[in-house]
Amino acid sequence: MWTFAFKRLLSGAVTIWFIATATFFAMHAVPGDPLTRDKAMSPAVRAQLEQRYGLDKPLVTQYRLFLGNMLKGDFGISFTQENRRVNDIIREHFPVSAMLGITALLIAFIGAVAAGSIAAQFRGQWPDRLLMMAVVAAISVPGFVIAAVAQLLIVQLNNRLGQPLIPVAGWGGFSHLWVPALVLGLGTMAYLSRLMRASMLEVTNSEYILAARAKGAYGWRLFWSHQLRNALLPVVTELGPAIAALTTGGFVVELIFAIPGLGRYFVQAVQQLDYTVIMGTTVFYGAFLVIMVVAVDIAYGLIDPRIRYSRGR
Amino acid sequence: MKMSLSYDLFRPYSLSTTYPLAGDGACSGNGPESVELPLAMPSPSLSRSGKLAGVAIVLLLVFVFIGPLVWQQDPSRQWLSQISMGPSASNSARLVDNDSLWQPRGEVQTAVVHSANTEFVRLQWPAVEGVHAYQVFRNFAEQSGLGIPLAVSRVAYYQDELQLAETRYRYTVKAEGSDKVLAEWEVTPEPAMSRFEAQLQGLPEQSGRVILPAHPLGTDALGRDILARLMAGGRTSLMVGLIAPCLFIAFGCLYGALAGIAGGWLDNVAMRVVDFVIALPFLLFMILLRVAFGIGPGEDGVFPLILAMVMMSWTGSARLIRGQVLSLSQQPYVEAARLAGMGRLQIIVRHMLPNVLPMILVSFSFAVPSAIFTEAFLSFIGLGVAPPSTSWGAQCNDGIKTLLSHPQQMLLPAAMISIAVLAFNTLGDALRDAGDSRLRELS
Amino acid sequence: MNLLNVENLQVEIGRGPNSVKAVRGVSFSLAEGEFRALVGESGSGKSITGLSLLDLLPSKSVRRADRFQLENLALPNQHHGQWRKLRGNRLAMIFQNPMTALDPTQKVGWQIAEPLCIHRGLSRRQAWQRAIELMERLAITDAEKRAHRYPFEFSGGMLQRVMIAMAIACEPQILIADEPTTALDVGVQQEVLGLLNELRESRGTAILFITHDLGVVAKIADSVSVMYAGQVVEQGPVETFFTGSTTKELHPYSKALLAAVPDLSGGKPLQGIAGQPPDLRRPPSGCGFAARCSQRMEICDQAPELFHDANGDHRCWRWHEAFQTYLSQQGQVRGAQHD
Repeated sequence: MWTFAFKRLLSGAVTIWFIATATFFAMHAVPGDPLTRDKAMSPAVRAQLEQRYGLDKPLVTQYRLFLGNMLKGDFGISFTQENRRVNDIIREHFPVSAMLGITALLIAFIGAVAAGSIAAQFRGQWPDRLLMMAVVAAISVPGFVIAAVAQLLIVQLNNRLGQPLIPVAGWGGFSHLWVPALVLGLGTMAYLSRLMRASMLEVTNSEYILAARAKGAYGWRLFWSHQLRNALLPVVTELGPAIAALTTGGFVVELIFAIPGLGRYFVQAVQQLDYTVIMGTTVFYGAFLVIMVVAVDIAYGLIDPRIRYSRGR
Repeated sequence: MKMSLSYDLFRPYSLSTTYPLAGDGACSGNGPESVELPLAMPSPSLSRSGKLAGVAIVLLLVFVFIGPLVWQQDPSRQWLSQISMGPSASNSARLVDNDSLWQPRGEVQTAVVHSANTEFVRLQWPAVEGVHAYQVFRNFAEQSGLGIPLAVSRVAYYQDELQLAETRYRYTVKAEGSDKVLAEWEVTPEPAMSRFEAQLQGLPEQSGRVILPAHPLGTDALGRDILARLMAGGRTSLMVGLIAPCLFIAFGCLYGALAGIAGGWLDNVAMRVVDFVIALPFLLFMILLRVAFGIGPGEDGVFPLILAMVMMSWTGSARLIRGQVLSLSQQPYVEAARLAGMGRLQIIVRHMLPNVLPMILVSFSFAVPSAIFTEAFLSFIGLGVAPPSTSWGAQCNDGIKTLLSHPQQMLLPAAMISIAVLAFNTLGDALRDAGDSRLRELS
Repeated sequence: MNLLNVENLQVEIGRGPNSVKAVRGVSFSLAEGEFRALVGESGSGKSITGLSLLDLLPSKSVRRADRFQLENLALPNQHHGQWRKLRGNRLAMIFQNPMTALDPTQKVGWQIAEPLCIHRGLSRRQAWQRAIELMERLAITDAEKRAHRYPFEFSGGMLQRVMIAMAIACEPQILIADEPTTALDVGVQQEVLGLLNELRESRGTAILFITHDLGVVAKIADSVSVMYAGQVVEQGPVETFFTGSTTKELHPYSKALLAAVPDLSGGKPLQGIAGQPPDLRRPPSGCGFAARCSQRMEICDQAPELFHDANGDHRCWRWHEAFQTYLSQQGQVRGAQHD
């Protein structure tokens, strides 16, 4: 088990290094000096940046400098927001995104497990057909459309009631959280539901479920201790990609619901060509996603004894 | 070291990674002895939903490519007088001269409407002694309340030029600081266009009126015809959605085939490169690459978009084809062909192509909706095509600004994206199910 | 007295005109300690017969029987709640492939302990203890340690022991073994058969052994039922089955089965049975085997009933004819003696 986890971590580290490198060279492929584009920058900031990033030095030196800074966890200073460190931006806004993302993931996962199980249980009957139609619809509609429509519906609901029942946008307590999280999680939920349904069907038709029933197991006992656990395995392996989808999906949901998360700042930075923020955030997000995938892989090893043992020994 | 992380799915979801829906033959074994029961053979033809999806795709293509021949409005033509309109038929409008400094001649005894058209509504009411300022409100006639406060006027007249439509309005005038209503009108502005705009658009004048074109789906926030824009945007979206997968699948196939045929250390290196690219978070690097490529002056940004997509998406088919080449070259019949003295290329063309082609077709039909999604996402966050070119995603980005007042401006392009994605996904499912069992494993 | 009585069992799987008439009249009984072999080709309905005894038929299926009785208890209707108390308790089942019939994510110990928790109301700890005892009884060495292992860490023979331990945990009166040795090596087969044999001798468990291996049948079974196309075509004590009953005449299908057993002495060539079993979606109205039968007669287009003699049941016109001849001969002999 530990060897397995260690190998995973090591390959994760290599991946992060590769992402950082790719980011660096992608940003240096930008035609011309990235600094010349922004005319509004004050000379003081410009000088500071040039010194800091060694823009006058050769590319290799710059790369070494960049990697060194990344290793130290220093992402530099924003181009457009003077004297604001990228680290501060991440520190301040990432927890908001993480909160939104975790809630969305929970909603998506629990919803998908429930929906997939129900659909499999009623295979071919109306609950199954209804759920699968909803799934196809949810997968076919882009996340930003779902978010916009949700916002529209909230406004209409509030108008109809004459009082703001659900906040339309912004960030605050749970009332601000649940609608964006639901909206964000919907696509992932649909996707995972399909997976869960298929995997549940496979498990339900398997011989070990028949054998468990032959032992006298039925109903909830059968579901909890035999069906669910086995059916969850393929769904858990998809959690890594699901987290990636929720992260990028979060960009637009934060934009639409005016949530001060890192995703919104990232998109703003992209629109304003704030290179340091783009680079820092990309590397940060990349590292985050890689760590998540590694974590999911290790968690999967914990759930599935076959992997735990076969890879560990 | 070997990079074994599975990042294949750092990309938008598609139906491709899941199993067939209910009612198909994939899991027809419902019971323990199902293996002993005669199973219905999967029909080799497309399912009904697959055919339906095919028809929908053809209709979409007709809409975006043939449509502009029928509906010849310029998608980027802006109508100042027709901003955010609902659906309208072709109608005539009176030409009027705008004059923001309008003043009435003399005073009136009763409340008067001097003129009411969609360019301006001119109101005048009797001045009241001791009132310093009048408050003018406008509301829709069918709604109760005063509505929006238009102005505080020191004189007893007012010209309203604020986004007038052909609906019935109620104007109310009150003295400032008092609740007493001094005057009230219900007014329906008649269609009108300023002489200035008519000249700008080059509309021919006919006895003081011009003919305005119809807008079956209304106009957007810049007064552009939504129907024409949907056609133009769809052209971009579908072109990106079709061309990008063609390119990256072609590149991936070539790459994978070469790696598989070369074998040895070359294959090893080639596959490490694939591992590296797969390890990159897809959408994040799509954004990054789009920023890196930028959009030069006079470009519409479609090429960098496709380039970025090709750079990020070719790996899947490269792996697929390499695996196929490797497994096929071990097949006895390929072995036999080799022993019979067939050349490498001949073997590939004769034996591998027919085996691999259906797989490529299926992965293509799943790559299309994924590419459409990606384009829409990037356009939505402002990294898509540059004006005057447009795409459905870019139109959603435009439409989100007026979502609350005119939701159709966003919902229409959004619906087009959804229909296209749904159609291609369904077609992909149907193609996969129609194929043999090997295609199912591909999912 | 018989433990189990089944008369005229019918099972139809699926609905509508394409439903499969998988079992079309099966009658047999099981006495205490009896080892009955249920023999037939795949698709003959023997597994479905076994599953119907535990009410584990696929969801879209209909089961009918004139008599379906466990001791004095008439077995409940399909999907009745009472079945939960019977399955794994008084009736238990061993499956063909232990590799796929054990839950891959559960410790082996728990899988054995589970029926004890369900039916005996034991606590998890007590049940775990019992599970280890059971494993030891079935000669699984190092049981305490192995109980913590997962199925994929076991060999096939070991897993089949686990399956048996699981099935006999609640000391069932009737054990249905669905080809439990087919997936195993020959050596392991012998061990498993030995275990089953010991089980019925020490506890009087009645065993319905579903197999297509006549060698096993000859060695260990008390009685044989041969199934073909959803029907029992011949059944009786194992001695008379192999020698032919009173009339020395067997159902042609049984004969064909016997002929198909490979003869290791190399004396005669291996014989298969030509033709295909009938499509059970549209079963033939006459004898099910008629289409493949070398001794077919005109009357075979009519469905033969299950004829009885002192040694068993036979569903065959040919046998019936031979039996009639035999009876009349006997009658003549007896008549001659009377004279």
